[in-house]
This record gives sequence, structure tokens and C-alpha cells, in this order.
Amino acid sequence: MSAKFLSRLASLALVLTVSSGIARAQQGVVDLDGRVVSPLEASSGKVVVLVFLRRDCPVSGRYAPAIQEISKRYSDSAQFFLVYPDKSETPQAIRKSASEYGYHLPVLRDPEHALVKLSHVQITPEVAVFDRNHRLVYDGRIDDWYIDIGRARPAPTTHELEDAIHAAQLGETVARNEIRGVGCYISDVE
Amino acid sequence: MSFPCSRTGWGLIVLAAICPIAPVLARPNPRYAQAPSSPQQLTFDRDIAPIVFHSCASCHRPGEAAPFPLLNYSDVKRHARQIADVTRSRAMPPWLPDPQELKFADELRLTDAEINRIATWVEQGAVEGNPADLPPAPKFVEGWRLGQPDLILTASKPLSLPPQGTDTYWNFIFPVPIQETRWVKAVEIRPGDKRYVHHANILVDREGSSRKRETEPGAGFGGMEIRIESQVFDPDSHLLFWKPGTIPYEEPDGMALRLDKGTDLILNTHLQPSGKPEVIQPSIGLYFTPHVATKFPMLLQLENDAKLDIPAGEKNFVVTDDFTLPIDVDLMAIYPHAHYLGKDILAFATLPDGAKKTLIHIPQWNLNWQAVYRYTEPVRLTKGTTVSLRYVYDNSEDNPLNPNHPPARVKGGNRSSDEMCHLWLQVLPVNFDVARGDPRMQLQEALARHNVEKNPGDFEAHYNLAAMLQAKGKLEAAVAEYETAVRLRPDDAAANNGLGAALLADGQPRPATAVLRAAIEARPDYAEAHYNFGIALTQMGDMENAAEQFRAVLKLQPNDANAEANLGAALAEMQRYPEAKLHFERALEINPNQPDAKENLEALRKVMSAQ
Repeated sequence: MSAKFLSRLASLALVLTVSSGIARAQQGVVDLDGRVVSPLEASSGKVVVLVFLRRDCPVSGRYAPAIQEISKRYSDSAQFFLVYPDKSETPQAIRKSASEYGYHLPVLRDPEHALVKLSHVQITPEVAVFDRNHRLVYDGRIDDWYIDIGRARPAPTTHELEDAIHAAQLGETVARNEIRGVGCYISDVE
Repeated sequence: MSFPCSRTGWGLIVLAAICPIAPVLARPNPRYAQAPSSPQQLTFDRDIAPIVFHSCASCHRPGEAAPFPLLNYSDVKRHARQIADVTRSRAMPPWLPDPQELKFADELRLTDAEINRIATWVEQGAVEGNPADLPPAPKFVEGWRLGQPDLILTASKPLSLPPQGTDTYWNFIFPVPIQETRWVKAVEIRPGDKRYVHHANILVDREGSSRKRETEPGAGFGGMEIRIESQVFDPDSHLLFWKPGTIPYEEPDGMALRLDKGTDLILNTHLQPSGKPEVIQPSIGLYFTPHVATKFPMLLQLENDAKLDIPAGEKNFVVTDDFTLPIDVDLMAIYPHAHYLGKDILAFATLPDGAKKTLIHIPQWNLNWQAVYRYTEPVRLTKGTTVSLRYVYDNSEDNPLNPNHPPARVKGGNRSSDEMCHLWLQVLPVNFDVARGDPRMQLQEALARHNVEKNPGDFEAHYNLAAMLQAKGKLEAAVAEYETAVRLRPDDAAANNGLGAALLADGQPRPATAVLRAAIEARPDYAEAHYNFGIALTQMGDMENAAEQFRAVLKLQPNDANAEANLGAALAEMQRYPEAKLHFERALEINPNQPDAKENLEALRKVMSAQ
């Protein structure tokens, strides 16, 4: 089932903000081998999805199967990156964790929170979806599975990430900033 | 010469409902409580550490249930805003009941002042402060909290928990390797990796009835609610429960739990997938005492599942049950239970003078944080006190935990998508008259009568009342109740067997044979029914067929001394003395104190030597 796309008007200001961010390289964004990566440039014309995770956030963990399923379903049209914004996490620890959760997605570290700022995300797990023109079309929760810490529905009833990928493919914007994710604050590890 | 036959089997179904909650407020607005008007700079070391050490650290440390440690400034700083959120919403620490006059042990509730202090500290930038202000770090006992247990039981096979999917309810069976009756003063449940076990509950299975549900020995079995059958009046007495943060404790003096040779402990667990594959292998530590029990608490269950038929979309569906105590009791602990539609859970007592006492009130029920609540002091409830439950269910779209989307009609039942309305009370009879017999029987009989009146069409209510009447020797009344139970479920093996046993005890072997035949037809491997059928045939003088029934019992239960003794008696009646002698001897091999075999063997020796 797909949620309704919300108004495009509401996100006008957001689009402008993001446009100005596109040109800048994202400072300090590296892969687990320390190589500088620019995920928007590296995406070769696909929609880009950044998934923000904290290794010590149980909600991030519980979402792993859903994140992998969605990334597989859209592998032709969307390039997913896992982004760990906690600068105290070592590449080794992140690699081990991603492997335990069975991830096969590229992993980035964002110790300076350049991608966090570009994406406007606040919580892990949250996602940011960019269209082919590197325009931010959505940031926020993956779906409505969690209602609050310690309280989850039997299954999600809305699917914001998938809706956003559809919208990005059509060049539309889905402004859902008012629906933040449930999980752990990124600002707690600044 | 007549050879006495012993024991008529009879049954008592005890329904044990066990399952899982979280306090739940709507996701809070990111607005912190008001800071004091002239805000003093709060610091972790001075103002926050005492709260964290006291109320968070016992679970938020390595090896415990919480997902991350909260043992020092850096741990807490990494989750500071989150902590402010979840304490304000009272999602953490997990504690569901509203404050009330009757206090619970190990209460995990923060005061409003503590919650405000955390919020202000975060608003002010979550600073560390002066290490000299830091209180001593909390000390925790590593490993078993009560020291090395006298006996450790470990699940023979670990359970693999898949990375995703809905919550899993799994039952592990722990045979207790003891050769004689032992008394247990404390139980510590170690549920395996505590991060993935939401709660666990031990049920005492004295008859091995749960083993029949395993596909192979040690495999365990799934299911949220389990039922244990019991052959004698031996009511459950203890609420053996683990949830994150549970601190094991010693039973009060004289209230040890009895474990017999052959008893199984069933660990009913609620498991939550973590996102990656996990392996769960629980263990149970038992602490014995040489002191036999002198006080006998029992578990009373109020319930009204029959009234649970909740229309789709109904926001306020109310279910009640009211039971009046026939004797004085001390209420020791309380355990409310509903599934995902449960919203407002209330239990109260109306004393004989009309005064009302809240026993527990959970305004935002959450199955994931369900718990047994023990009172700091026993609560005296005198004869004539009415204990009431009043549960409100929300089957609308507004209930995010609703298992059906869109909402659907929900009835009472054992699956997690069904609903439940249960309230367990651990009570200790007091001020009772020993001459009137076991006070627990009075309680159980009153409860059984109450259930029959409440739901005249409830099979289990009639069955349990019948079993209770039979235990008290009120055979005519027992027969009538069993007959009602059989009318309600003509193919139920246990009810037919119970009726047969009651008829036999009442000296009516001929009508007993018909229902015992029905019991065996319903469940061909039902040893008790074969046994009772054998007794009935013996009483009618049909020794040939009686012997066949006892042989059927022995095929199912090779070490049944009573069946051996009765087989011997039937053979002796047919004057097949040498064969009879072998079976009497075998009975005594199994149980040197089997009274009939002893007596009959002596009688047989005289007969044989006279020949």
C-alpha cells in the first residue's frame, strides 16, 4: 500500500537549500578503507538513498532486514549507502556490525556530519532520498513500524521510503519532515 | 478372596496463561519540562549520576537486557536527548502501574523531579561537572545474583531466532534431574541473551504433559499460552517470572516450592527479533532449602475470556469479573495479562465494609512490558472481600498495536492475535479452620462455582468444578458437573475419563465403562482412561478384559506400579497365580511401598503354599 504523496509546495524552500549544497564536496565522508567518497557523484544516474545508522541503536538494528529488502527491490533504480555518523566508531567495528546484520551495501562514515547536514536527518534510523539531479526529495523515517521507543506495530502501515523512491524516479518531492524516525538522536554523538 | 484395586485416576485442567508490554505515551513533542526560573547549572556528576546509577544501570550494563550501557558520563552523553525523551514519556525505566497506596517491591518509577532534572540537564548542554561530586559507581553481582545455584538446568537445544518477523513465543522444557522431592527457596531465570528475551515465565509441569507437544525430546514447542494438565489437586503456587531488570529473591519463610522426581519446568519465553540471527539458550538456577513448606499459597485466576468478542473499530470494550473470597487470604503478588488490544487494566478489592482498594492500575497497558508485581507487604483481604478486574480494550485504528490493519473482530483465544482477559493473584490462606480441610480447596471450589455461574456454557468451568468436587469426595455433584462437561464436549477425552472415574468412585462401574470407552476412543494412548477402564471391568468381574486394559497401561507407562499391582490382582482373581506373583513382584520393584502389591503378594504366598 502506498501513502499519498504530500504537497510539493511545502518543500520549495527545502529544495533551494539543498541545491546550494550539491556543488559542495561532503567534507570527511569516507568509506571503511578511508577513501573519500561522494555518494551523490558515485551513483551514476540513479536515485540515491542514504540510510543513517548507529551501531549502538537497537532500532537501527531491527530495521536491517527491511532496509536490505527495500534496497534489493529497487536495486535497478536506486543506490543505497549506509551512513554511520558517529565519529567514535572505528571502521573495524562498523564492518563487523554490518556483516553480522548481513548487509551487502556500501558503507560510509560521516564523522563531520556533512551528510547529516545535507540530509537534514536527526535520528537513526532515518533515510534521505535524492533524485537523479541530486535534489533531496525526502528525509525522515523509513515507515511507521515504530510508534515510540519500545513500542512497534506488528507491521508498518505506511511506507515513506518506498514512496519517496517512487517520487524521486518521477522527479517529485515528498515533504515528510514532520514525521521523524523513532530511534537514537544523531546529535547525541556530535 | 478379593484383591483390592487402588487409585482411580482423575484429572484437573489448570489453564496457565502466560504471555507478554510497554508504557506508552504518544511520541512526545520535543519540548522539555520547565527549567527552574533561575536555572542552576546541573551536572552529570552531581545531579544525574545518582539517578542513572540507581534506576538505569542495573539493566544498562554489559550482559544485561538493555541495548547499550549507561555506566558513566560518556555512555549517558551518547544518549542524552533520547534519555530525556523516554523518561518524560515514562517509556523508561519500564514501569507500567500508576502510583497507589499499596506499594510494589522493586518499583522502577522515576519521580517528576528526577525527570525534570534530566530534561534540564540536557537542555543546559549535558555537561559533565566535577568528578569529585560523583557518587560511588554501582556494584553489581556478576553471574548468578544469589550465588552459585544448587542445581543449574540448561536448555538442551538452543533456539535459532530469525533476524526478522513478528515476535516469537517459545517454550523450553527442563526436566529436573532429582531423585527425591526437593524444596526450592529461590529460582533465577537466565533467559539466554537478555537483549532479545522480552519476558519469561516458568510453569511447573508435574505430569510431563508438555513433553507430548515436542516433535522430539528437547526440541521445545511454540505458543504464547500453554495449558498444563494435572491429575491431582496440586494447585500452582508461585509466579516464577523474569523480565529485564527482575531481581531474583528468596521466598518468604515456609513458602518454598515443592519439586518432585519427574517434574518438568516449562520456560515460556517471548522473544523479539533483533535484525540479525540470534541464538537463545536459557538456563534456570535452583536454590534448595532443607525446610519443607509450611505455608501453601495458591494462584487464583480471575478471567472472562468468554466475554471477549470485540467488534472491529470498538474503542472502549469493557470486560469485568468479580469474585468474592470465601476465606481470609494475604495477597502476595499480582499478574495482569491481556494481549495487544488491552488498554486500561484495573484490579481492585471491595472489602466487606465497602471500602475499595486499588490492587493495580495500568492506564497504558503494553504487553511487551508485562510483569508480575509483588507487594512490599502482604495485603490482607478478609472473607467476603470481592476482587474485581475491569479491563478496557481498544480494537480501533487508533490502537497502533492492533494486530489487524484494518481492525477486525477479535475473540478470546491463545494466539497473540486473539485477546485475553486474565488476572492472577498469588494468595496465602490465613485464619483458616484446619478441620474444614485444605483452605485452597475452598478457594478453588468457590472459584469453580463462580466460573460456572458466570459462563454456564464454559466447558472448562464445569470440568474444573467437577474435578474439585471429586477431590473433596462430593461424588454425586462431581458426576453431575462432569455430565454437563461431556454434554458440552462429547468427544473430550479428559471429561469422559473424569466422569468415568467419578462414577467408579461412586460405585457405578457399569455406566463408567461406556464413558471410559469414549475416552479411549477419543485418545487411544490415554493411560489413565485404560487404567480406569481396567478398574471398572475388575469391579464388574470381567478379569480377562481388565487384565488387557492394565497391559495397555503398561505399554504406555512401563513403570506404573499401580497398573502392575492391578494386573497381578486380576490374574490372581483368575487363579493364574504364578503370573500374578510376577506382576506383584514387578510392582514392588518399581515401588517398594505399593500397598496393594505388598498385601496381595503375602496373601498370594499363603494361597500358593496352601495348594
